[in-house]
Amino acid sequence: MLSVNNLVTSYGLIKALKGVSLEAKKGAVTCILGPNGAGKTTLMFTLAGILAPDTGTVSLLDQNLTGLGAPKILRKGLALVPENRLVFPDLSVYENLLAGAFTQSRAMAAQVSDDIDKMYDRFPILKARHDQPAGNLSGGEQQMLALARALMSRPSILLMDEPSVGLSPLIVDEIFAIIKQLNEDGMSILLVEQNATKALQVADYFYLLDQGKVTFSGTPDQLKDDDIIKRAYLGGG
Amino acid sequence: MDMLQTSIDGLMIGSTYALLGLSFALVFGIMRRINLAFGACLLFGASLAIYLEPILGWGAWGLFFVTIVGVALASAYVERLCFAPHSKRHGAVTAMIASFAVWMQLDEISSQLLPQRTHAFQGIEVPNLWWGEVFVRGDQLLHFVIALVSILVLYLLLYKTRLGLLIRATADSPETAHLLGARVPWLGFIIFLLAGILGGLAAFMILSADGYVTPLFGLWSTFKGLIAMIIGGVGSLTGAVIGGLILGLVETHAGAVLGAEFRDMVTFGLVFLVLIIRPGGLMGVKIYRTDSLAQERV
Ligand SMILES: Nc1ncnc2c1ncn2[C@@H]1O[C@H](COP(=O)(O)OP(=O)(O)OP(=O)(O)O)[C@@H](O)[C@H]1O
Ligand SMILES: [Mg+2]
Repeated sequence: MLSVNNLVTSYGLIKALKGVSLEAKKGAVTCILGPNGAGKTTLMFTLAGILAPDTGTVSLLDQNLTGLGAPKILRKGLALVPENRLVFPDLSVYENLLAGAFTQSRAMAAQVSDDIDKMYDRFPILKARHDQPAGNLSGGEQQMLALARALMSRPSILLMDEPSVGLSPLIVDEIFAIIKQLNEDGMSILLVEQNATKALQVADYFYLLDQGKVTFSGTPDQLKDDDIIKRAYLGGG
Repeated sequence: MDMLQTSIDGLMIGSTYALLGLSFALVFGIMRRINLAFGACLLFGASLAIYLEPILGWGAWGLFFVTIVGVALASAYVERLCFAPHSKRHGAVTAMIASFAVWMQLDEISSQLLPQRTHAFQGIEVPNLWWGEVFVRGDQLLHFVIALVSILVLYLLLYKTRLGLLIRATADSPETAHLLGARVPWLGFIIFLLAGILGGLAAFMILSADGYVTPLFGLWSTFKGLIAMIIGGVGSLTGAVIGGLILGLVETHAGAVLGAEFRDMVTFGLVFLVLIIRPGGLMGVKIYRTDSLAQERV
């Protein structure tokens, strides 16, 4: 459903993505692994329209997304939960959720408040804290808020950039349970992770990104069989 | 009785200081910028209004509208010229210095418009009130009500509308707002325009209460606005309103008890105390302590 073809993105003269191609299937969880500085965030930002690619194409459900800006891409159904969560710290939890629905037209007001109720059902902690500033939430709660906020735009594919980073193991389990639940409810997900063990619990297909290039792609079984990956990501041989 | 009378006078004046403080707090709280040419914008608006008064012949209401429009235009001009080109994080100092230069420019234009040092500034005629022993000037009561209404309107705009949420979200985290497709284009322009309208209201109120304008008015209003904001809490809107009211009360009481010559000394003493005891201002402590963004963006 999301297909990325030969994407090149650079910061000035430095190429951070050197021709990345990948495919995320409908209803699947596709996972991108990769070391620090591999270009994972750069890829996510390019897909979400925050960075513009030099060359290459991105298409979602046969709509061409290449070179569109962030608001347009969001409207076409691609939402990103950014790395390090990035909630609006001074806005309340409720206002953060509202902010996630900015791209919905005014006429959808009733639907927006419906969606917020649904988010409160899925994330009861957000309901309990709806009028508190988001900056007061714990890291795990902020991650859930960022996720709920991304869902407010009713995306057809959800991109998540390292949702487990900096969170305690218990909270990471909770986040992955939510990812699994979302996927079972039909959401297509493109997940960036460094925690391969956790990713194996949810992902249907893997890509390995290294120094701006895809160096491996395959199913979870193929991933487990790959010696290099085993040593680098799954703790020993 | 005297205490009560002085307090009422103080609140009346304080409400105009609140508007001045609010203009600074709006620009600093949302844009993390200080506009040093703010007072010069006020002086320009007032000068333009007096200059055009004989041509338009609209009387006090003409002064009212032209002052507000003039200040808002000048404020928007300063934003385009000094602040818009330096909207990135590290542009704060450059923008502030540029606004200092424009201050001189606007002052020069104002003195071309009004060559003499002192010009009469007509007020709106409202009958005065007596409540038993307490005397309230009609025009000041009107100003007080206008100030309260504009503070209320600003509050509703920022906290109850979609645009307000967008503005606060963009102020909170421009990158995230952009990501969500929620960044306000022309945010700086809108904020400077709003600050200009508040400043224009304040300028009209102060000048028409005094009955005249001098070239020193610009510098004076920059001081009052900055002081109101510093007392109340740097960047906090509620703080600016409270700071303005406190400033008005302290000034009038100091003037009544110690004499007019001690007024400003007491004010600066108060600022000194606030800076020592609560460096972030009364309401700004949270922002001062925890808002790393403030440091980054300044
Ligand atoms: N704003 C920037 N300007 C210049 N170079 C950048 C910028 N952001 C990232 N880079 C460089 O691009 C490369 C890829 O960075 P990126 O953030 O995409 O990596 P990542 O895979 O997300 O890493 P991490 O796992 O640490 O999040 C790195 O070499 C980085 O130094
Ligand atoms: Mg990253």
